[in-house]
Amino acid sequence: MSNVVPIIRFDHVSKHFSEEQRVLSDVTFTLLPGEFLSLVGVSGAGKSTVLKLIYAEEIPSEGEVYFNERPISGINRKHLPFFRRNIGTVFQDFKLLPNRTAFENIAYALEVDGRETEEIHREVPEILEIVGLGDKAGQYPRELSGGEQQRVSLARALIHRPKVIVADEPTGNLDPVSTQEIVKLLLEINSFGTTIILATHNKDIVDNLNRRVITLERGRIVSDEASGKYTAKPSAAPNVPRQVSPKNI
Amino acid sequence: MKTLKLWRTFHEGMTNVRRNGWLSFATVAILSLSLFIIGLSSFVAYSTHLVLTNIKDKVNVTISFNQNVSEERIMEIKGTLEKSTREVSSVEYIPREQALAEFLAQNGNDESIRKALEEIGENPLFSSLVVKATDPRYYEVIAEAVQSSSFTDDISRINYAKNKKIFERIQLINRTATTAGLTLGSIFIAVALIITFYTMYITIHSHKQEFEIMRLVGASNLYMKMPFIFEGLFYGVVSSIIASVFLLTVSRSLGPITEGAMPLGGSTASLFLHHFGIIFIGLLALGIILTTLSASLAIRRYLKI
Repeated sequence: MSNVVPIIRFDHVSKHFSEEQRVLSDVTFTLLPGEFLSLVGVSGAGKSTVLKLIYAEEIPSEGEVYFNERPISGINRKHLPFFRRNIGTVFQDFKLLPNRTAFENIAYALEVDGRETEEIHREVPEILEIVGLGDKAGQYPRELSGGEQQRVSLARALIHRPKVIVADEPTGNLDPVSTQEIVKLLLEINSFGTTIILATHNKDIVDNLNRRVITLERGRIVSDEASGKYTAKPSAAPNVPRQVSPKNI
Repeated sequence: MKTLKLWRTFHEGMTNVRRNGWLSFATVAILSLSLFIIGLSSFVAYSTHLVLTNIKDKVNVTISFNQNVSEERIMEIKGTLEKSTREVSSVEYIPREQALAEFLAQNGNDESIRKALEEIGENPLFSSLVVKATDPRYYEVIAEAVQSSSFTDDISRINYAKNKKIFERIQLINRTATTAGLTLGSIFIAVALIITFYTMYITIHSHKQEFEIMRLVGASNLYMKMPFIFEGLFYGVVSSIIASVFLLTVSRSLGPITEGAMPLGGSTASLFLHHFGIIFIGLLALGIILTTLSASLAIRRYLKI
């Protein structure tokens, strides 16, 4: 195993916005290609920050994050867009462009890459088929259910055939049935070799997955188990789910 | 790949223009008006300047000498005048024979004039010196200097008022057009800049959340910026075309009034047409600079990585 190059490595990473606001403290872990990692913890534990550091939306205050053993903070600003095409992102609020159809939302990710129109018209229907939305290509996000919107978002994340999918509470706004569908899709994607990082505080999902679990508490890793269970305890701060509806996007 | 991306961002920019509706219309309207006013005032300043140079040649002080004054004496006076190089630019001697020849060339066909000349029996005209000043304001000084000089007795008459009134009036128009053009032009440029800026700002603001999404799927800053640059470019191009068409209409309608006033004998319309290329390019450049500048300024604060 030691010969395998980690896809992501956190090396004593801390992040603080001010002295009082320490979001992450001394976070160290290694993720190998093809792993399925659940990142659990109550709201404010630092899950989203860990993810943001991976897709370079934030940079560490101390320490370093490596992607394929290359320090992410060393990536030239100009090259960041290209770097981000290696990482598919999925969010609780779907982050779809409201004025574009399902097809156009996915196509946009290819358009920015300068792909030929023919190629786009070949690949987008394929990926929509994979996420089970072959018949909804022409619909706008507002015409789709939450679960369907999340599947569009997942299809968009997949279109660049990324090495890593980062999912930040992807089921936070979904009903149990849609939640199961999304998790099933993530597992399928993972079975093709894509590394998945799933941040969630849904105990059922994590317990059923029976995969690696890292638990964060107040910005620190408190446990890292190969086939873990959800152990995050409700802390002094009440665990209030974020109220984000697709209409706010 | 580059052209494909350019085309896509262009298409996106045009979609923005369409979605903005009235805001796009207002931007184009105010921008056209600004460009029109700038164009008109510089055109008026330029054409009055041309009229001035045209008339300048026709303004002079003509000193006519008594018939008994010898040519040597006149040449002596000419020499004296030519010494005041600061005020005098040229002195031309016109002998009475030449004056008559020129007069006949101009009016020779007129029967009554010919008869009158025959009746007089000799050349009734005077030899004269035509003095041109380095600057129009010196004519009065020159005329006064000649009148109070030692050779005032030899002079039959001094005519310096010829064309002077017209000259002064046009000079006033020229000065007014230049000042008004500069003042009004800069005010309108400022207003146009602000309005374009805010149009772009509002468009960009409505796309604010989309930028985050676009970044996440790997769009480069330039790719997100280009639609707005194209949007600005569109406003600039359309406005400069509208302003040029208005200018053309105005100069056409002024055409009959200004016929012959221009050095080449044409009117403002022909002058405008003659310079249409440069006028259009100037307005186009100004429009494009204004709008793309506004667009880049407006987008700057939204695009961080």
